[in-house]
Amino acid sequence: MRIVRYTYPESRSLAPASGLSLRSPWAGLESEIDRFFESALSGSTGAPLDNRFNVDLYDGKDHTYVRAELPGVTRDDINVEMVEGYLTIQAARKQQTGDREESFSFSRSVSIPDEVQPDKVTAAYENGVLTVTLPKKEAVQPKKVSIAVK
Amino acid sequence: MSLFNSIVPSLTRPLARRENGGADLGPTVKPYYEVKETDEAWGLAVYLPGVAKDGLEITAEESQLRIVGRRAWKQPEGWTALYRESTDAPFELVLAHDNAVDAGKIHAELTDGVLRASLPKAEAIKPRKIVVS
Repeated sequence: MRIVRYTYPESRSLAPASGLSLRSPWAGLESEIDRFFESALSGSTGAPLDNRFNVDLYDGKDHTYVRAELPGVTRDDINVEMVEGYLTIQAARKQQTGDREESFSFSRSVSIPDEVQPDKVTAAYENGVLTVTLPKKEAVQPKKVSIAVK
Repeated sequence: MSLFNSIVPSLTRPLARRENGGADLGPTVKPYYEVKETDEAWGLAVYLPGVAKDGLEITAEESQLRIVGRRAWKQPEGWTALYRESTDAPFELVLAHDNAVDAGKIHAELTDGVLRASLPKAEAIKPRKIVVS
């Protein structure tokens, strides 16, 4: 990807002036198409302008974990809420560009598979990734009762 | 078939011609980035969630700037991934600038997974007034 203003290749690279040229006449067009595909198919991640962010869901023994990629957000601008089996993460990113202040907001809800204890949910934000830890309800583990046979 | 291939040689070349850096990174992901231009410099913001300072590598070569970010987090043993949208692949971003950036004066900082860098323009490309005598 280039950060200098793009200058179109001169036409002479597509049609060589002299009869015999080391470069094939298609080389200019080839490299242009290569560049185009490289930039289009390389798949840039986490486009903040979309108001979407990547979310991962993990299951542990006693906890369920949710990781959200939220780079460039201050802790105060992150809201995490737990309502009826749905975890909602809201974040706002403010940017100072000259005189204006731009603000982007993201929101996503994830359904949490197991029964969790909503009052014991914790969250940590490190290196631009928010990790929410949801402890499972203890009743999930079945109790085993041994019965003696007479 | 071979006649066709000789006319359009790109069909016989390997499809993905990826440049990998000195260390073999394997598959990499291109991060989202923004570039803003002022008269003096370019302002670059690269979004690298999960990358800490020791996983970040910025190399300024003659004609390009290469940014590699390795994620700091590894999935712990007891965790089972139920649903994943993010990836563990390192970030790689290569910006070609054709000697327009003064590499010695680049300032960069990484906070909360966002790399903000100021890339001062090289003297040669700054607009100059030419006096007509």
